[in-house]
Amino acid sequence: MVYTKKNPALFIIGVIMLAIWFMADAGMLSGYIEHLGGKKYKYTKELLSIPLYFGVVAAVMGLWQWFGSHKEGNFDYYTSTLAGAMFILLIAMLVRWFIAPEVAVVSKMMGKVGDTGKYLHKILGLNYVVMGILTGIIIVNFFKVPEWAKNGVRVSRLGLKTGVILLGTLYSAAELKNLGGLSIFMIGFFVLGSVGMTLWLGARRGIPNSMGGVLSAGMGVCGVSATVASAPVVQAKSVEIAYTIGTILLWGVGCMFVFPMVGQMLDMSYLKFGAWAGTGILNSAQVAGAALAYQPDGIETLKVAEIFNITRVLVLPIIVMWLAVWYVKREQTGTKVSVGQVIVEKFPMFVIGFLLLFALSTTGMFAPANHYKGKYFNNTTDFKSKNLLSDSKKAALQAEMGKIQRADRKAAVERLIANGKIMSIEDDDQIRGLVNAKIMSKDNNKILKKAHKAVRHASAKIKAFRNWITWLFAFGLVGLGMQITVASMKQAGGQPAVIGGIVGFTKAVLSLIVVMLVVKDTI
Amino acid sequence: MKLKNVLLASHGTEGAQAAEKMAFEMCEKGAKLHHLIVVDTLWQGMTGDDWLNNGGIRDKFRRYLENELGQEIDAHCDKVNVEANAHELEYSKEIRVGEPDECLIEASRDGDYDMIIMGSPRPKGVSGLRSKMQTKKLTKSLSIPLLMVPFPNE
Repeated sequence: MVYTKKNPALFIIGVIMLAIWFMADAGMLSGYIEHLGGKKYKYTKELLSIPLYFGVVAAVMGLWQWFGSHKEGNFDYYTSTLAGAMFILLIAMLVRWFIAPEVAVVSKMMGKVGDTGKYLHKILGLNYVVMGILTGIIIVNFFKVPEWAKNGVRVSRLGLKTGVILLGTLYSAAELKNLGGLSIFMIGFFVLGSVGMTLWLGARRGIPNSMGGVLSAGMGVCGVSATVASAPVVQAKSVEIAYTIGTILLWGVGCMFVFPMVGQMLDMSYLKFGAWAGTGILNSAQVAGAALAYQPDGIETLKVAEIFNITRVLVLPIIVMWLAVWYVKREQTGTKVSVGQVIVEKFPMFVIGFLLLFALSTTGMFAPANHYKGKYFNNTTDFKSKNLLSDSKKAALQAEMGKIQRADRKAAVERLIANGKIMSIEDDDQIRGLVNAKIMSKDNNKILKKAHKAVRHASAKIKAFRNWITWLFAFGLVGLGMQITVASMKQAGGQPAVIGGIVGFTKAVLSLIVVMLVVKDTI
Repeated sequence: MKLKNVLLASHGTEGAQAAEKMAFEMCEKGAKLHHLIVVDTLWQGMTGDDWLNNGGIRDKFRRYLENELGQEIDAHCDKVNVEANAHELEYSKEIRVGEPDECLIEASRDGDYDMIIMGSPRPKGVSGLRSKMQTKKLTKSLSIPLLMVPFPNE
């Protein structure tokens, strides 16, 4: 079978990308960029590079797909995904560079909402990530994914997995240890709790074991992914699968909007929100979506949430095996469960890639020589005097000292005011914690962030990884949006909707309470 | 009036069973009863936004689901076949994948049927899969009579 479609679509996508680049490069977009925020518009650099590179690839390959002759084989199979992948990328570009900023402009024109002190788009989390997923959902449900793009839409999963693998470069050993410990505690407690609660409720409401099994995996571990992995093992009926997937998708999409809103209302730190989203949201795709929705232009929340996602997916083979044993025992089918086979089969291979990049990162291969050594204490040679705190900034910080309750944080800020710069790694940790906890005013938080940046310099390679990761997730989530059909969400119903609603709500609320009580503002 | 060639759209739900019953009653002995079963496209979206699983796991799930649906369809067709034989009807079946209304319109064009018989939409509050026929579109596009049998006890 020849997969490549003789179609002008890829070429047209390439031309649109090149047109965006040309207009940005020739200054034809200056007026519009001014309207979208002028100097505050963050994507000017991207506009001058990304659409050019991808536009050339899409236009050249598009011409070849349109007019070339195609033969069956691996080359045809892999290149046939290009049109769909570029289609997703174009949507991600348009949403990130134009649609989301336009929504922000309109929202700002409407003024702040009541006494919240926040604009509507901030409260609703309407940024490029959420809007990208929504665009994907709208395309698949109202216009259908075009035939020529179908083969490429699947590549979005590859984008997300590559994003997680690259995330491995951004963790320090201490971060991974602390986050890993926290996630094992949270995920362990809430996975086992919600699996147990679903099975218990299921037994009380008299649902079949197969339905209880598939629903508990979905509600407890990682939503649709767990349902897909466990359905054959517990021999779920087709209608049970439909009810469960429908319930989880509906709940997951709802959570993607509700969680960031609650996070904003409670002014949660990135760490707290990442931990909560990673535990409380059922579906792993929506965990990434909510994390990026909460912090669209940074990666700290995503880093936390993805550790929770990885922990969940590592727990998945164990839960599937447990359910298999449980089901066989209950139904007395006499089938033998091969522990080794289940574990090997369900093991998520991409986690190995994540660990490998993390290991390579700890060797320092992604940072320049002496990067770590000199990262904090370039105070005598490399520190630029223009970065020293001015007297007015010192006075502004001093004026809000009363807001800081913790003695260690207070001492760190006092030293910052005294020296005009952060003097130690420990102080830097305290200052970051203070920023994340959003205790001081917005302006003072900006001063603290600047002080942090003045002493900590990220490697150019690491910066590039961050940018790539953001794009890979945006690309992957738009593509995943194209796989969420209203038809499958509409199947939410029956006992799974009732039990799923109770368990999902309990998990979200309890995990929020635990996160607020147990999790600190910095790692 | 007794019918000689009927297209029966049924996938075994309560409403569809009422349609089956009506079809058996309305057909004359020896009449042809063509049974259409539609596998709704909603099943294609059942892997949803899963991205954590390996490709092998997803394929296994799809095969499993396909197999489950196949078994359910076979059991349903066997049941209708037995009933049709008891009424001395010539039974045939056809499975189509797609939107229910589009599949029925296409199937109706492929045969020389006297009438199409199907159940009416499930009333509100009755549980079941949400895979509805777009009856408005259907009635506009069909060129042969359509009988929608009322839902039992409605």
